[in-house]
Amino acid sequence: MIDPQVLVLGIGALAALASVVAVYFAVIERNLVRAVVFSAIQSTLYALLYYILMAPDIVLVYVPVAVGLYPAVILFLISKTEREEKP
Amino acid sequence: MKHAIAVLSIVLFVLAMSLLLTVAGGLYIPSISVRPLAELYLNTTYNPWNREFTALSPEGVTAIVWDYRGLDTVFETTVFYLAIIASIAIARGIRKYSALPGKELGLSLIVRTVTRITTTLIVAVAISIALHGHLTPGGGFQGGATAAVAPLLILVAFSHYFLLKRGVSKDLMLVIRSLGLAGIGIVAIATYLVAVASGLPGFVLQNQPKPLSPVNLPAYLGGQLISGTLWFFNIFEFFAVMAGFTIVFLLLAIPERIARGGGEK
Repeated sequence: MIDPQVLVLGIGALAALASVVAVYFAVIERNLVRAVVFSAIQSTLYALLYYILMAPDIVLVYVPVAVGLYPAVILFLISKTEREEKP
Repeated sequence: MKHAIAVLSIVLFVLAMSLLLTVAGGLYIPSISVRPLAELYLNTTYNPWNREFTALSPEGVTAIVWDYRGLDTVFETTVFYLAIIASIAIARGIRKYSALPGKELGLSLIVRTVTRITTTLIVAVAISIALHGHLTPGGGFQGGATAAVAPLLILVAFSHYFLLKRGVSKDLMLVIRSLGLAGIGIVAIATYLVAVASGLPGFVLQNQPKPLSPVNLPAYLGGQLISGTLWFFNIFEFFAVMAGFTIVFLLLAIPERIARGGGEK
């Protein structure tokens, strides 16, 4: 039987590692729209981490800002410029 | 080559941070001298038997944000206010934009139906986050940011015209935001004005009675706990933040071709 605390903290550690992978793809990706999607995935994992680290107030402000408003601002700005990053 | 450097630097950063955390966890433990601060907040945030020092709010974070450290939050609101003013100033050249329907507007029927359902849910959750901010995690900024997602989804799934036709324009949002900010200012000086009018000493941003000043806003409204100023601050901040974000999105959604030409002729 696994200790529940270890299980929850293990989920948090996995989320943190997965967020690093999402950051790598967001940095490498040349298609800016896909980069924004990777950034939103990283934000979702961060929201899970904040919840596991017992900061519900931060989760409630992080979810709408980092998953909803921030990708939307960046997508609006990409629609005003170019979709592909030049090498 | 560039990808290899990126992978290597990210892996090294993660390994260095985990090593630091592992080593630091064994070497450095916060001393006992920092704990009385936390004990002070936890003992006084909801304590009806100690009416001169309590904030009468079971939610410690909201009590610290709007009562113990209220002035900091007022200045944070000022920063947000200036950011919105700056974005309106950047878009000042756009005289007129009516977003008249050209051809087909909005996304497909499925997306629009789902948006109709989810925006209702989002607004309901946002209002509950803001109104329960002094009881459960949440508050004015959290609720306002959540509510701002609803007009954003409508803007994307329906159209700019859909919002403008129903009266959600930049000017209306500016009025709501100004009323919200004025409400925050009035609540901040309400106890002070009451104290001055009745000849007692009073403080700006005072919530519950203090040893020097017995005036306060009511902690209970109709038998429900509203924690004095916290509930009013949360409501006004909700409207200010929601309207502020909506202004930014309404300005961003104007097509670049029209924005550069200075609006429609």
